[in-house]
Amino acid sequence: MPQDRNAVAAAPGRAAAGATGLDPRIERDHAAISNLADDLLPALIAKLATSGLGEIEVREGAWKARLRRPAGADDRKGSGRGSVGGHSGQGHATGRGPAATAGRTAAEDRERLAREEDGALETANLPIVAISPAVGVFQPRKDLVTGMRVRAGDRLGTVDVLGVREDVVAPVDGMIGSSLAEAGEAVEYGQELIRIELPENARSLEVNGADREAAAVLGEA
Amino acid sequence: MFSKILIANRGEIALRILRACRTLGVGAVVAYSEADRDSLAAQLADEAICIGPADARRSYLSAPALISAAVVTGCDAIHPGYGFLSEDAGFADVVRAHGLTFIGPSAEVLERFASKEGTRRLLEAHGLRTIPGSGMLRDEAQALEEAERIGYPVIIKPSAGGGGKGMRLIKTPHELESTLKVSRSEAKAGFGDDSLYLEKYLDDNRHVEIQVAVDQFGHAIHMGDRDCSVQRRHQKIIEETPSPALTDAARQDLCARAVRAALESGYENLGTLEFLIDASGDAYFIEINCRIQVEHPITEMCTGIDMVALQIKIAAGEPLGMTQADVVSTGHAIEFRILAEDPGNDFRPQSGQVLGYLAPGGPGVRMDTHIYPGYEVPSYYDSLLGKLSVWAPDRAGAIARGDAALRELLVDGLTTNIDLHRAILANEVFIDGKVTTNLLDRVGSAPFVAAGNR
Repeated sequence: MPQDRNAVAAAPGRAAAGATGLDPRIERDHAAISNLADDLLPALIAKLATSGLGEIEVREGAWKARLRRPAGADDRKGSGRGSVGGHSGQGHATGRGPAATAGRTAAEDRERLAREEDGALETANLPIVAISPAVGVFQPRKDLVTGMRVRAGDRLGTVDVLGVREDVVAPVDGMIGSSLAEAGEAVEYGQELIRIELPENARSLEVNGADREAAAVLGEA
Repeated sequence: MFSKILIANRGEIALRILRACRTLGVGAVVAYSEADRDSLAAQLADEAICIGPADARRSYLSAPALISAAVVTGCDAIHPGYGFLSEDAGFADVVRAHGLTFIGPSAEVLERFASKEGTRRLLEAHGLRTIPGSGMLRDEAQALEEAERIGYPVIIKPSAGGGGKGMRLIKTPHELESTLKVSRSEAKAGFGDDSLYLEKYLDDNRHVEIQVAVDQFGHAIHMGDRDCSVQRRHQKIIEETPSPALTDAARQDLCARAVRAALESGYENLGTLEFLIDASGDAYFIEINCRIQVEHPITEMCTGIDMVALQIKIAAGEPLGMTQADVVSTGHAIEFRILAEDPGNDFRPQSGQVLGYLAPGGPGVRMDTHIYPGYEVPSYYDSLLGKLSVWAPDRAGAIARGDAALRELLVDGLTTNIDLHRAILANEVFIDGKVTTNLLDRVGSAPFVAAGNR
């Protein structure tokens, strides 16, 4: 029976159809994602695992992916493990599904990357912030003080969503900077909450390729 | 009345609800996903809040995100628009549990009308004809008897099936005899259940719906009908009111029966009862939509009623404030759904930037849209760019105004179905008011697309 269109579009299948199209823009995106997923990410995961870096970001055209070492992973060197920043990235690193699946994850990646763009580590000079994971009421961790060292993935506070607490986490290794939201303040999804300052010894990592550029960064083990 | 309403939807309907709130003097907060940060509703709103990422499951379909947004912004009601969570009884229930009002039917009412089959039985008991069918078929003799009673053609349907699977069209008793056994084994193999039943097959049918409103005090009105027969793969493309498929007497009768059935079955707030009209003019109830419909503007143009405002008032516990005698529908209105789809390329959805946009104008022309020059159409949601609605004193006038407005409408940067609309308007079947729901799918859209490129 006829349905209002939003209801239909809400189904995942519809979104997939849109993203697997022949639209050249989308095709370019797919090519970029394929490159990221099949060539760059595996190499970078290996690199991350054997380096002392906490996080690496890689770009392919307009696309970016960020790899982040799991919080509290002590066996850094040679562990061979590296967490891909986001649930869908894992799928790309391990193999590609049928076109429809790839389309959906592409859309998810795009959304995720778009979200991280503000805090992206294009250079070590840009401000880096911990953002709100949800719409709700913000409570910073009680013991949080300016200048405190934190690791990527550390919990900096919570956002209370109807009684369910969602963690606000440090996006990178660094030091707690200024607070951008008060305790008890209503915050929206993606709102900037706490600045993270990079340690002095932050450094960059070069990855070969003309329009491939990986900047990354962050603290030693 | 509410003090502040959270608008839990996107696109043109978010803007439409914002307008109703402003007209009523009620505050409004637009809830938007990250992909809709630049949407017109979010920009025009006095207050807007980002509820989640582009993925609707984590934004427009996330009850916690929406309710949390309503709570932290101090809203006392949530308007769900259409699609998404607009008919979700569970959502309506949780909204109420948080001390907020769901703008629509109550959770109990949504629950009562949640099952299509249950709703058909319920409204049949209140005087609406449903598509004739048999009980479960026992044997061949009984099947033949039932088919004879219903009248050929009939469809054999597996009881456990769904989505058209395992259905067969039967035109003669002989076909029924030869198909029954096969259908049984197919149903057994496909669904683990070989129960079958028969339903009358309505070939060239029209889709006509009746708009009703019921307040919390047992007052009910109808606001006439809408004909939504111009469809492609069950998606409405053009809607008009009044339906050319009904005589005025038949319309009066159907409207009266629909509003009575809605009231007596305990329905509440705005609702749309959908019917299929067969070649002989008989109307069969198929389902009820418990929300504001995409195509509501044409009813507003003919009746002068602000239906979204009415919906909000009913949810706030106010009486209708009018009787059936106050509802006067005049003239003829047509709505064109302007979609970012490429008719020449299997209606592939388009996304990207709107480079230029010019809305048509003139008497009886209304444009509901969230696009503007520079707006980036996200690829995550539906392809509805807007709705062009026209009104004129009669149908021929409305068609003429529709064509003039479509010629004027400019959406640059994306492929749209604007030319397809013009081609349909110029088609004799449409001009004669004889479009059936299967027309576009049966003849294919190609002739219309070709005509549109003239």
